Amino acid sequence: MVVKAQHSTTEKIVELTQVQKTYFTDTGDVHALDPVSFGFDKGQILSVVGPSGCGKSTLLRILAGIDTATGGKIVIDGRTITGPIGDVGIVFQRDLLLDWRRVLDNVMLPAELAGRNNAEMKERAMGLLRELGVGDFANKYPYELSGGMRQRVAIARALLLRPSLLLLDEPFSALDAMTRDQMNVILQRLQQHEQVSTLLITHSIPEAVYLSDRVVVMSARPGRVLDVIDIDFAKPRALSIREEPQFTAIARKIRVLFENEGVLAA
Amino acid sequence: MSNVAIQTANVQSRPARNSRWRKKLRNAGLPIISALVGIVIWEILVRALKMPEYLLPAPSSVIEALVGRWQYLMYNLGYTAFAALSGFFMALVLGVTLGIAIAASPIVDRIVYPWLVISHAIPKVVVAPLLLVWIGFGVKSGILFVVFFTFFTIVVNTVMGLKSADPDLLHLVRSMGAGPLKVMWKIKLPNALPNIFTGIKLAATLAPVGAVIGEFVASNRGLGYVLIQAVGSMTTDLAFAAVILVSAFGVAVWYIAELVEKKCLPWHASQRGQ
Repeated sequence: MVVKAQHSTTEKIVELTQVQKTYFTDTGDVHALDPVSFGFDKGQILSVVGPSGCGKSTLLRILAGIDTATGGKIVIDGRTITGPIGDVGIVFQRDLLLDWRRVLDNVMLPAELAGRNNAEMKERAMGLLRELGVGDFANKYPYELSGGMRQRVAIARALLLRPSLLLLDEPFSALDAMTRDQMNVILQRLQQHEQVSTLLITHSIPEAVYLSDRVVVMSARPGRVLDVIDIDFAKPRALSIREEPQFTAIARKIRVLFENEGVLAA
Repeated sequence: MSNVAIQTANVQSRPARNSRWRKKLRNAGLPIISALVGIVIWEILVRALKMPEYLLPAPSSVIEALVGRWQYLMYNLGYTAFAALSGFFMALVLGVTLGIAIAASPIVDRIVYPWLVISHAIPKVVVAPLLLVWIGFGVKSGILFVVFFTFFTIVVNTVMGLKSADPDLLHLVRSMGAGPLKVMWKIKLPNALPNIFTGIKLAATLAPVGAVIGEFVASNRGLGYVLIQAVGSMTTDLAFAAVILVSAFGVAVWYIAELVEKKCLPWHASQRGQ
């Protein structure tokens, strides 16, 4: 455990250097992402927080290999990526579960696609579902579950193959405030347990600060990095940490950054 | 306190139960009563107006024909059913296959599309005599006509279903490393099943109609042939009996298709019920 912790401080999981994105359309070029550079260590959580349309989802799609950057260099786990690498787990705002599959079969989808549909994987799928508190629903269809439960299943699916990187694109935005808090606690526990490097896209400042080891603050389109803030609170963190003065100070600092950009100005 | 509550509950539940029964009666009973009353009025009118049998037979004589010629009618229904079902299943296999090809390849889509539209626009009845010329008399031309008659519905619904898969979902499974074949088999096809079943149900009810039209032209067996013969010889009661049987067969096929759909798509919104 200790060895792993030391190990993780030295090795980077993601390193972006001058990554940018321009969409070339008939009506002119759209600058979605100015050159951005940041990175984070293995086993940590990094959040990208920014207003709508700041290119943070574009960034995630580039990391997932769904979209390509028009410039810069992306290194994930020591490999320079150019397309889908298959070693990332993704959760979107919509859970994107398959309606015709029961919960367990939904979680098993990545294993099936990778030709690893075996008993050991099924065991892991059940373990993840239990850890996420939805083990009793393994045999249900997605429509029988609430929004929060569906999103837990989507997280289990993303983690099944032990990806080296977990990408979360505003995964809790569609949930009510209380469910969202609950999901934050569950995600933190699971991330610690699985030791999975996680990149979270969010537009909630408290969520970013609560969950992350590092927060990247981005400006409105075209997206630029306004600041990179390291969060040093010990983990696991209680939800009540959000009322602590150190926490609110960081949250205020981020909010002021947005205010100076004119995003949150009154 | 609790006694009062129980009492009021009792008082309220009785009219509630009554109205539920009334609702059931209204839902199931009224259509049956309506149909029966209509048939009785038909019978009375035919008798009162002394309508000649060949113009409009009374329901009683239609039932008489149905019972009296039962074996003859059943034999011909079997023939029609065979043509309808074999044509339908061929159309199903061909239609889904072509639908997959169209959805999978824009090139196939562009090449096949005009032919599909043309084949659908052609008045099918015109083609029936041509089939007689090309293929000859008998069940083969009947089956082929049913295929022609039901094919389009299945293709169109299949393509619509296959193309309606969520783009984000497709991105997601591709990022999991799924190739086009796996995407088709694991995602697009199951996603298209509700649409394909819509096509199946429509085609299944069209099939008996297609079989009858085929028999009008190119057969000496089947209910279509019985119908033509009966109308030609002014035995209108037999013609009515044939029509009733074809319709009953169509309804039966619809319900069977619906049953299969329920078994296959327990997860779909249309099947969840209460």
